[in-house]
Amino acid sequence: MPHFKEQTELMDEVEEVMRQSLVCILTFTNEKGEPVSHPMLPLYDKELKRLYFTSSVLFSKKLEDIKRNGNVSVLFQGRSFVKAEKYHAVTLKGSARVEDEEFSERWMRLLPLWREKEPYIDAYLKRRVALPLFWERAVIEITPREYVVWVDGDLSRPPVTIRVS
Amino acid sequence: MGSIEIDPKELSRFTEVSGSYVDKEGNPVSVPIEVEVKAPNEFRVKLPRGVDPREVVGRKFTIIFNHITPLPIGGYTERRYLAYRCEIRSEGGELIATPYRRYGWDEGKIPFFQYCELTVNNAKKYLKRRGLELGSTFRPKLGAINTFIRITRLPFLLASVISVLAGASVAFYQGYFDALIFALTMIGIASAHIALNMINDYFDTKLGADVMNVAPTPFSGGSRSLIYGLVTTGRLTLLIAVFSGITLGIGAYLAVLRGVFQISSLVALGFFLIYFYTAPPIKLAYRGLGELAVALGFGPVIVIGSYFVQTQQFALEPVLVSIPVGLLIMLILYVNEIPDSPYDAAAHKRTLVVRLRRETVMSMYRLMLATTYGLIVAYALTGIAPLTVLLALLTVPYAARVYRGVKVTYNQTYNMIPYLGGNINLTIGTGAILAFGYLIARPLEILLGVPLTL
Repeated sequence: MPHFKEQTELMDEVEEVMRQSLVCILTFTNEKGEPVSHPMLPLYDKELKRLYFTSSVLFSKKLEDIKRNGNVSVLFQGRSFVKAEKYHAVTLKGSARVEDEEFSERWMRLLPLWREKEPYIDAYLKRRVALPLFWERAVIEITPREYVVWVDGDLSRPPVTIRVS
Repeated sequence: MGSIEIDPKELSRFTEVSGSYVDKEGNPVSVPIEVEVKAPNEFRVKLPRGVDPREVVGRKFTIIFNHITPLPIGGYTERRYLAYRCEIRSEGGELIATPYRRYGWDEGKIPFFQYCELTVNNAKKYLKRRGLELGSTFRPKLGAINTFIRITRLPFLLASVISVLAGASVAFYQGYFDALIFALTMIGIASAHIALNMINDYFDTKLGADVMNVAPTPFSGGSRSLIYGLVTTGRLTLLIAVFSGITLGIGAYLAVLRGVFQISSLVALGFFLIYFYTAPPIKLAYRGLGELAVALGFGPVIVIGSYFVQTQQFALEPVLVSIPVGLLIMLILYVNEIPDSPYDAAAHKRTLVVRLRRETVMSMYRLMLATTYGLIVAYALTGIAPLTVLLALLTVPYAARVYRGVKVTYNQTYNMIPYLGGNINLTIGTGAILAFGYLIARPLEILLGVPLTL
């Protein structure tokens, strides 16, 4: 395939897509086994090779669904949503773990990653008193298992699959 | 399962579309897809290369339309998404998805703050359940100071400050001023106001007015301290008792010092208004009498009381001054009732704004502002008040701006927020300048050697 790249190079670009995406689609299953999808702000930690989401307790239904079945999928798609130089449409398949033993402070370790995506977030956080429950948040940590990559976002070409060892 | 209709016009507002399904191993998968509306209740779905259509046929399939508008400074706005849960089948080599349920959120239709408010009960249930599982209690952590500010609605205490200041300023103009008495009055009235705010929250939560309100603003909809679980009912009751106790203690001290019958009567009337503002069976605020109660409490009761503790006499002047002051403070409540009105109506809290038509609400607002300024002018021109109180007219242009803003944004809760704040600035500012007019009058008369009254 002419556009096929070395996997490590492609993986670097995929990581950049995840790091630079403003939104992604998180899919998990509900108690009936149906797929449930929600747009989320992805926070990718390149050092830990983990994808994170924070979820307010206001929107806690997904936390319970994910705790029931940790298999999830995350789609990065949409050129205008990704600031990275190289764009690929990426489906991540992985296992999710919910951290919900504490809601007030633990998620704040992800603030530096959040700040990169939404620089104004600190201004909102300073006014935490205005929306107290919104800032009570759980963390969803995703360990990637496999990436399916449509190089250059071209859906007419076969995707490249990268398995994470 | 019945199918639902698809509105192609609605879908044109989204940038991206994806599909989700559960593969044969039971893992959820989301992939970029292309869709077309084939029929009013059917999508034609095109999967990307690499996804076998046999993987999805006969399974539940979620189609999700998504949009954000990235901002040049980073971040995004105009969030919206719309998800259709579908049955999917193969027909003539095409994949056809029939939606049977939809969910989503459009920030343009349900503002973010309201979206959050709609899910408060879910959050509380979740925190309670996790608390039971972990043997712990989860409450939003705002820090002691922020929690106290939120529970007591502390910024609203400015209304009390203005009323006390007005009464004391009139006394000061007449040559009476005791700093300790003034400080005690201020603390006593502020404590009473805190108790009032918390009693109001307790009963508005219990009677449903605040619970039904899913569009609170920083100025309306109550403190929501019980609704958000910032404080327990028991602790709130204790705080009410503590602040009421402070007021009663100071009231008793001032009564012994300045006049038992007079101060006791004012304190008793004040507590009647504070408690029965929302407490059953009287519930003044629920009967269209809350506005009058506030005007009476923050006007004559506090202004005359603050004057009396300084002078130990009743006089006409503080009574007259208390009218515009009471009207101004009442206008804070009156305008803040506008965004609350649909929810107040649902909870049978029949405030004036609930009872009146929109045009009448605005006419009354205009009339009360005009009456306030008119009284100030009349007092100055008839020699009741020093001419320096006319400084309060400086706020007239701002009043016109705020009035117009409230009128234009009526029924647009979140757009009205700046004008709710503006109305508070206006009323507090006008009240403060009125009091200031009295405060500077005496030194000016001494300095100029002429009386400043006509």
